[in-house]
Amino acid sequence: MIPALDAYRDFSFLSAIIRLLLALICSTVIGYGRSSMQRTAGMRTYVLISVGSCMAVLITLFQFEMLQTAWAGTVDEVGQKSDASRMASQVVAGIGFLGAGLIIKAAHQQVSGLTTATGLFATVCLSMAAGAGFYEPVILSALIVVLVLNVMSPLEITFKRSVRNIVLNVEFYDVKDIQRISDTIREQHAAIYDIDVERSAQEGDKYPNAIFILQLSKLNHSHSGMLSSIAELSCVRSVQELIS
Amino acid sequence: MNPLRELTFLSLVIRLLLSCACGTLVGLERSSKNRPAGFRTHISVCLGSAVAAITGTYLFVGLKLPADISRISGQVITGLGFIGAGSIIITKKLTIKGLTTAAGLWTTGIVGLAIGSGYFELGVLGTALVLAAETVLGRLTASIQRRPEFTLEILYNDKTALDEVLRFCKDSHMAITRLQILSLDDNPEADYAAEIYLRGNARPVTLVSRIQIMPGVVSALDIEK
Repeated sequence: MIPALDAYRDFSFLSAIIRLLLALICSTVIGYGRSSMQRTAGMRTYVLISVGSCMAVLITLFQFEMLQTAWAGTVDEVGQKSDASRMASQVVAGIGFLGAGLIIKAAHQQVSGLTTATGLFATVCLSMAAGAGFYEPVILSALIVVLVLNVMSPLEITFKRSVRNIVLNVEFYDVKDIQRISDTIREQHAAIYDIDVERSAQEGDKYPNAIFILQLSKLNHSHSGMLSSIAELSCVRSVQELIS
Repeated sequence: MNPLRELTFLSLVIRLLLSCACGTLVGLERSSKNRPAGFRTHISVCLGSAVAAITGTYLFVGLKLPADISRISGQVITGLGFIGAGSIIITKKLTIKGLTTAAGLWTTGIVGLAIGSGYFELGVLGTALVLAAETVLGRLTASIQRRPEFTLEILYNDKTALDEVLRFCKDSHMAITRLQILSLDDNPEADYAAEIYLRGNARPVTLVSRIQIMPGVVSALDIEK
């Protein structure tokens, strides 16, 4: 551990301010990237939750300070019953619930909001480390979170567009057409893992659709090629690649 | 030791009043923006958390029971997580509303815990930080949001035309996040329509003007989604 930081490891109001500011700065940086990507959780959310979880740890430290000074008599009499990690553990659970509220079940068996929820979770955890005066991992993990959430986002999309396993949502005119579609897919030497018919009969102006989960052939795994050849079929109304 | 940190009647009154004041300050800011949780909600949360923290302390310090003084406070944090999750709304366009309010409510609860535990400085400092985050960062957020995602609609006849368009988008450093191809039955000019969801820094206008003149492409359009 870095010895220069040891001066601020003791519990005092000055070190509490430093810890809160550290959590504030880290969450602002993380939130800035999320805001600029127009994600649901922006800077304010990150900062608010970060300040709160840092405070929760500081309250625990304060309580222990009190147990050692003002309430030392009671501690001698009844015994030490407090658990310093209790508040922090409940922060983890509480943010878990909040994150669960953020995850949306979107159309076609997809979910969204998962990265936002986990990003908040990671930010809360590093803010608690800041609150405990454990400064070393805070800045390092904040940098990693920024890297993962922002820099790696285009990387993940590029990666997902080059993988062999793809999920397609196909709209067609008649359910019997599924056979022709799967024949076309097999002609491209792709393997079909699963076909899930979402709407079989026509409901209003909606056409029947199905989710195809496939693995493209090793030699030719162009996503747009597969989409085009399915779209060319006269029985297909629309085809869409689903990327979560 | 400061007598206000002890559990006396005077200290109790001060803790309750201070938690109400902090809840009011945060709540007024939310109310002034006409957000779902107003100052009554925030006062309830802040005061309730403070009472929970005081009770937790009282079990040990006042009654001298073998209790963990942080257990009740800890469960408040989880409980407020539940309330926050319930206050988040998913709109019809599958976006999220109420997240900042939920986060603010959660942190206000922790401010209440700090004051109830007798850590007044932290409670006041926390309130100041919450208010700063809500006001200053709110304005800042609006100014940094750009428009990184947009959708191009392209009408074309030839299958290779789409490949060309996609290659051009990649060469312009645009990430293709989603692709939808629609076969057109009643359009005499084009056989297919493709919706390409793009993310990147290139301007939509520049892309459209270049794509429009590509062979096989009937028309290209930047559409709002």
